[in-house]
Amino acid sequence: MKKTMIAAAAAAAALALNGAVATAGEVKVGSAAAVTGPIAELVVAIVNARNLAATHVNEQGGLLGGDTYTLVPGDSQCDPKAAVDAGAKLVNVEQVVAIIGANCSGATNGMAQSVSIPAGVVMLSDTATAPSISELDDNDLVFRVATSDDLHGRTLAQRAWDHGYRKLAVTYATDDYNSGFAEVFAAAFTALGGTITGNEAHEPNKASYRAELATLAGAEPDGLVLFAYYGSSGITILRNSLENALFGKFLGADGMMDNSVIEQIGADNLRGNIMLSQPASATGSPPYEAFAAAFEATGNAPDAPFVAHSYDVSFLAALAIEKAGSADRGAISAALREVANAPGTVILPGEWAKAKAAIAAGEDINYEGASGPIEFDEKGDVTGTYTLNGVGDDGTWTPVM
Amino acid sequence: MEQQLYGIFLYGVFLLTMGGIYAVLTLGLNIQWGFTGLFNAGVAGFFAIGAYTTAIVTSAASERHLGGYGLPVAAGLVAAMVASAVIAWGVGRICIRLRADYLAIATLGIAEIFRLVLKNEVWATNGPRGISLIPKPFEHLPEPWNQVGMLLLVFAVVAVLYVLLERARRSPWGRVMAAIRENEAAARAAGKDVERLRIEAFVLGAALMGLGGALMAHHIKFIEPNAAEPVSATFLVWVMLVIGGAANNRGAVFGAILIWTIWSTAEILSARLPPEWAVKSAYLRIFLVGLALQIILQRFPGGIFRERRFRTAPSSSTREQPP
Repeated sequence: MKKTMIAAAAAAAALALNGAVATAGEVKVGSAAAVTGPIAELVVAIVNARNLAATHVNEQGGLLGGDTYTLVPGDSQCDPKAAVDAGAKLVNVEQVVAIIGANCSGATNGMAQSVSIPAGVVMLSDTATAPSISELDDNDLVFRVATSDDLHGRTLAQRAWDHGYRKLAVTYATDDYNSGFAEVFAAAFTALGGTITGNEAHEPNKASYRAELATLAGAEPDGLVLFAYYGSSGITILRNSLENALFGKFLGADGMMDNSVIEQIGADNLRGNIMLSQPASATGSPPYEAFAAAFEATGNAPDAPFVAHSYDVSFLAALAIEKAGSADRGAISAALREVANAPGTVILPGEWAKAKAAIAAGEDINYEGASGPIEFDEKGDVTGTYTLNGVGDDGTWTPVM
Repeated sequence: MEQQLYGIFLYGVFLLTMGGIYAVLTLGLNIQWGFTGLFNAGVAGFFAIGAYTTAIVTSAASERHLGGYGLPVAAGLVAAMVASAVIAWGVGRICIRLRADYLAIATLGIAEIFRLVLKNEVWATNGPRGISLIPKPFEHLPEPWNQVGMLLLVFAVVAVLYVLLERARRSPWGRVMAAIRENEAAARAAGKDVERLRIEAFVLGAALMGLGGALMAHHIKFIEPNAAEPVSATFLVWVMLVIGGAANNRGAVFGAILIWTIWSTAEILSARLPPEWAVKSAYLRIFLVGLALQIILQRFPGGIFRERRFRTAPSSSTREQPP
């Protein structure tokens, strides 16, 4: 028994060390994601989208002199403790050139402050939306493609006002994304002259929310603003509201954007009654359609939350390495701005061969992402526009107005 | 290759820092469970109180949360211990008389209450979005000295605690605690104030848990309620203590570092799997950790380091093993 254990341990150590030494012709980028933990169900599609970008790169000539673009997974668990641990492994053991991720804002914040910034590694986030990320003293190393909640919350409040809502009830899941969103929304809607009749937190993953909803419905608002992830509480809240005739009109954001919402609640129950705000990747725009077609072909849903952003960060990291001309950590930050920001030859998702040729020819390029045009400002943030989506005649999410 | 070895060295520093912080938590639990037999299932609650206390007193002013006192880290660590101790005293006064499993249920509930209060009192804690920009000792030194400095600080804390707790364990106080754990009625009959002593152990253990939480907050420079989830802040600490060996301080430290190493390095293996496995491999890692625990517990049912009993007379009768 003891001998087998020692042998197994030795084999494991050999495997770890052998794998840790970068094989020739491979460029590693860390792909930190909350694979386990509270948003695990969203992350499967996010990881698939990142891997799709890597596949595109590798199928069309690879990085630099034909090197393989490898995404090394790290599990941030949506917990800053775990994220620091995962980041330490990616940066030190795997020796990654840059990190994409780490999903939840708190995990991203911890990993950036404790690991990636001190080590001088660029971190490019696809889903962290907390305003505090903009405030980090980051030596220009932290970028994100997800827009800050401040902007999104204010935009949704304006849209709600424009659609004639004056009295709204708000409920939000007690996680960093949804609670921050609710706070900004409530302040902005009040500033416009609207009334928030009630603003209640709810804990995710409860079997029923009837008590909370009944309290909120008591003040007779025009509708319910629902900041939640669809799987952990959103669908249950919609069902409870409709079954008990507590609310008929709903507003929400991208955490609710999933076809399973329509499948489980029914298109006819929702049509005309729900509006969800989403970064305007722009369903319909050429970059989004290019991504959507490719992602759908791999058997994934392109309208799942944040997958367009996830594809973009993965593709952008590769573009920056190509632009920098070497797998050198220090050169990524400057290169990232050059490949993402205008002006330059426009590159769409999937157009790796074209981008590689343009960079080789010394041209400036401008990546137009599936999630939006992607122009990094001095804080490494993007500004975005948003679309409102409702249930269309074909029973899928469709832009309204 | 040199870069690679340097990287592995730096990762080792991170690994031992986290392991050392968990050792502080495990030593705290050892006072409560190992010495005195108090079943505290609310480690995460005291961890969170310590982490938030130091975050508030040491971080710079922010409109998002209470703070702006800008005290040095050392003051933050002391404040964290004091805050945890005071709150533990209040909790202890109410529920220390509960027997083992009832105390476990009460403390589990209390820890969840703390977590939800921290999550919902947005004015003080910034709610679920947490407190950012917490200062980290030695962070202005160049790499690797910033990370090594933090490691040495954590190790110094562990070493001091170990020496003090070893002395406490051998002292009359430690023997009374063992007496209470083994036979409370006898301790009471011998004239000991059992309630007061149980509260003492509870408060002392909670103060160390608060210290562990504070060290963690400084290490990761950010704290949010998710960091005080029961799985990684309560049950993992219990696993460390049980594997290392309850009532043995050496076991507590060793268990913490061993289990954290297994927990962390398992990912290096699971990350070697092909990309199609990226999502599944994270769960495989949890399975690997479970398997390691099974093997260790099969081979060392009483923990790797068993309790070392003190003998007052050579004739002392054989005693049964602690549960």
